Amino acid sequence: MLTVNRLVLLSKCAQIGKGLLACSVRQAGREALSLRQRRSFRSHCRKLAYAKDLFLGQVNKAEVFPYPEIGNEEVEEINQLVAPVERFFNEEVDSSKIDREAKIPPETLNGLKELGLFGIMIPEEYGGLGLSNTMYARLAEIISLDGSIAVTLAAHQAIGLKGILIAGNEAQKQKYLPKLASGEHIAAFCLTEPGSGSDAASIQTRAVLSEDGKHFLISGSKIWISNGDMADIMTVFARTEVLVDGVKKDKITAFIVERAFGGVTSGKPEDKLGIRGSNTCEVSYDNVPVPVENVIGEVGGGFKVAMNILNSGRFSMGSSSAGMIKKLIAMTSEYAATRKQFNKSLSEFGMIQEKFALMAINAFVMESMAYLTAGMMDRPGLPDCSLEAAMVKVFSSEGGWICVSEALQILGGLGYTKNYPYERYVRDCRILPIFEGTNEILRMYIALTGMQYAGKILTAKVKEMKKGNIGTVFSMVGKKLKDTFRSSVDLGLTGKDGVVHPSLAESAKKMEQNIYLLGLTVESLLYRYGKTIVDEQLLLKRVADVLINVYAMTAVLSRASRSISIGLRNHDHEVLLANTFCTNAFFKNNYLMTQLQKHSPENDDANIKKIAREVLENRAYVCSHPLERTY
Amino acid sequence: MKCARCLLQLQRLRPAGQSARSAAQYGALPQSPYASHMLHNTQLQVLRRFHGSPARVKNRPVPAEFINEDDKKRDKSLVAHDDLFERVDKESRTKATFNKVVDVFIKADVRRRGHVEFIYAALKKMPEFGVEKDLVVYNKLLDVFPKEVFVPRNFIQRMFNHYPRQQECGVQLLEQMETYGILPNVETKVLLVQIFGEKSHPMRKYQRLMYWFPRFKHTNPFPIPQQLPEDPVDLARFSLTRIANDLDAAVTVYQLPCTDITESGELLTLPHIVGIQGPSQMELLAKHNPSRPVFVEGPFPLWLRKTCVHYYVLRADPLPPEEKVEEPYDPERCLVYPLQLDLDLDRDFGDEESFDVEDLDEGPVFAMCMTSQGDQATLNQWISGLQQNNPILGQVPTLFRLNAGPKELQGVGDTESEHHRKPEQETQREERQPEEEPEVLEEERPRRSHGMKQ
Repeated sequence: MLTVNRLVLLSKCAQIGKGLLACSVRQAGREALSLRQRRSFRSHCRKLAYAKDLFLGQVNKAEVFPYPEIGNEEVEEINQLVAPVERFFNEEVDSSKIDREAKIPPETLNGLKELGLFGIMIPEEYGGLGLSNTMYARLAEIISLDGSIAVTLAAHQAIGLKGILIAGNEAQKQKYLPKLASGEHIAAFCLTEPGSGSDAASIQTRAVLSEDGKHFLISGSKIWISNGDMADIMTVFARTEVLVDGVKKDKITAFIVERAFGGVTSGKPEDKLGIRGSNTCEVSYDNVPVPVENVIGEVGGGFKVAMNILNSGRFSMGSSSAGMIKKLIAMTSEYAATRKQFNKSLSEFGMIQEKFALMAINAFVMESMAYLTAGMMDRPGLPDCSLEAAMVKVFSSEGGWICVSEALQILGGLGYTKNYPYERYVRDCRILPIFEGTNEILRMYIALTGMQYAGKILTAKVKEMKKGNIGTVFSMVGKKLKDTFRSSVDLGLTGKDGVVHPSLAESAKKMEQNIYLLGLTVESLLYRYGKTIVDEQLLLKRVADVLINVYAMTAVLSRASRSISIGLRNHDHEVLLANTFCTNAFFKNNYLMTQLQKHSPENDDANIKKIAREVLENRAYVCSHPLERTY
Repeated sequence: MKCARCLLQLQRLRPAGQSARSAAQYGALPQSPYASHMLHNTQLQVLRRFHGSPARVKNRPVPAEFINEDDKKRDKSLVAHDDLFERVDKESRTKATFNKVVDVFIKADVRRRGHVEFIYAALKKMPEFGVEKDLVVYNKLLDVFPKEVFVPRNFIQRMFNHYPRQQECGVQLLEQMETYGILPNVETKVLLVQIFGEKSHPMRKYQRLMYWFPRFKHTNPFPIPQQLPEDPVDLARFSLTRIANDLDAAVTVYQLPCTDITESGELLTLPHIVGIQGPSQMELLAKHNPSRPVFVEGPFPLWLRKTCVHYYVLRADPLPPEEKVEEPYDPERCLVYPLQLDLDLDRDFGDEESFDVEDLDEGPVFAMCMTSQGDQATLNQWISGLQQNNPILGQVPTLFRLNAGPKELQGVGDTESEHHRKPEQETQREERQPEEEPEVLEEERPRRSHGMKQ
């Protein structure tokens, strides 16, 4: 049945591909030059990408409209899969016990193994479920009901065995994947070291080729390894000496290390704030002999492997957070409907209603973003969606945190006690902005990737402008004039060839305005800062935020348009949510982009930096105590 | 702010001219800069006389008579009041005796005749009794003024300068407080109101003091405590932290001061050696090219209020431009985002926020130390102490470039010989194996300090 599904999917994708091709031909005349430049830059990934083009003020609507779908058989299949998993999580998983005892009981783990949840994305020929990204996202929604289990499973398959899956050779896959898929072996991802987080240069763990040339001897220690205590197979990154152009150089290499190789010791489990049931500890390697054939990819190519693994694992956080919030909405609305104050139920108070609306909107947006991204990733040709995935991660981790804390607030004091699960959700949720790349560093990634892309294309234009080329300046002025006469920006989302449903037209217009302005802003930032924009983190943060908002708007517009068009149940509610979110995001974006303008009074970056500098110089709060006197 | 800066500048400028003049006037002067400061202030007082109209004095015979009387007695009484203070033994000049003198004066005459002269004399003598910074004493001096006599009672008195000499004396007292940085308190205010009334000149002076003093109290971002630590080690610790201004820097006491008697019966005094070094300095030193020498230089003075301490630095010459290597950009450094953009665009001039400062490369300072005995042997001990945490010092040639410090005045010949020896030292050292460095220094040590055995 599955193979049939795949065929259907493939044919559908081919259609989409054709559509894209036609679209690009249409655009080709208009911007042949820029396309040529783009092609040379993006030689390694697919030609079209949605998020990057936003930096140029363009909408690649074929990429995100219509909202990606899966076939009927697949829907059936996923429903069949979801039902037992949901039952298992509702009936057999005692989250409060896992949290209290800081351990997932073996019978729970066995249940997960039986459900096949240890090999969701491993192809069927290696004994896994062989599900697509979309289906993985759907399962993540349920798995996230228990943070500890979600993290354990994610560490196992989203990063732990991903290296073998995407960069391993056939022999490695044959050898390791079946046991990993069944859950007989558990995987871990060992990258972080005491002196190194995202800085690959400070990795100290070293792999030295033995004299017979058959083994690498790995020595060093890794910290904060999820599943570190129970993992049998580990993806370990270590420094190796590589000859580059005749010069010896240290480069990172990825290895598959079995605990059975000997010399692997794990430290005491860390006592954490949340996700207490997941195992996190230090793992040390003392001259662990690793056969040469266990190198993932090639020697010295570990950096790429690590980056690809990290980039591919992030998209599922959107659906996980959404799943959690949906559950919280159900729980808290029950309470709000029954609890009475002043002879009114809690649900009649405006401030409580606001919280529910916030949760609903957030869940809706996260869901939309997650499944849009997953759908894009499932398209043939290995599309590079790391930028989109990073945006999903940032948005959903922060939204999740806000929603969980608002849910607790609805309960008030009750929520603060251990009698209710809310405090656990708050604690568990706090990890989301931290792991899989902190949100700060991901924002840098989002903004800089786009800046690099836009910069490549705009360099020539900006240089002309700087030189004061009359022609360029006049064409700029002409464009500006034309824009002022035109009432609103039209990027083709609505109207004749429109892809957005008319009931969402207004929101689409707002998004178009945002995108157009983003293009101008990026251009002016490039003009002003050039490559030194790397050091302007506060600006980059805003650029990233605008982009995240725009992507979120895209996702909800696309999803809601589809829902209306095919007549999904309660699609009017979706329209309501989408319009509300878009209005809100529109204002936020406008504010952020005003701040990005030069000499904008809203922009107080200089003050912020100064405050931070003075505080950091003193390494303390600087002000005198208000009770102090001078005479 | 600008005004404040002007004031500061003025104050800096004044002592030069003023002290010269006062030196001429007063002959022998105490050496401290504060003394001259005070003197010039008293002079200023004389210059800033209030304008009392002599015509008015005629209209009011009674006070005039007083003043005339005073005038007649002035010379005599001045001597008398000075005498009161002079009578106290030089040794027993303390706050208690000062208070006693004031009490004697107060009790001597109910009318407090000659109190203005007495107060002037007392103000002059305050530093000798060591009470120039004591607010209680100033209040007590103010208390010498008879109360309510000088308070103007009608608008004419209020309009004109009422009892100018007394008011001036009050202002002078406040001004001396200002000089020593003493902030008046409520008691002062109550006294001033009782003596001169609400809107008198001393009251104005008081208000101005109260306006400016609190505002200027914390202008120095690097305050020095009133009482410096007595212990030389503590003092060194304090001053080194102050110079380094690095919260990470660690102070190490390499040697505590102690006196010992050797077997031969010689008195052996070991100087204190206190050093400071931060982690960034250690990092710099570790990267230092061992073929280039490092220098121990000093002593350099550091003034803390009235105390002068000396410190030594371990430094190197700035790297010549050809040796500077910039770390190449490694694209495989950051796992998440590109650390550099591959763009051919630079920052626009309009957004260039850095100033064009002429950068003078001074070369790195690796460590600093303070010691009571700045000879090469002692400093060598410091360097070998540093070597424990900075093993590279064993390979780097260390050159001593010491000036004759204030404490080495007696050893002029010594320092000269040291200067002669220097080139020879360098050649010696470069010939030897780097590991032998400390031994080489050991050999040289006896030449300089015969009595010392370590």
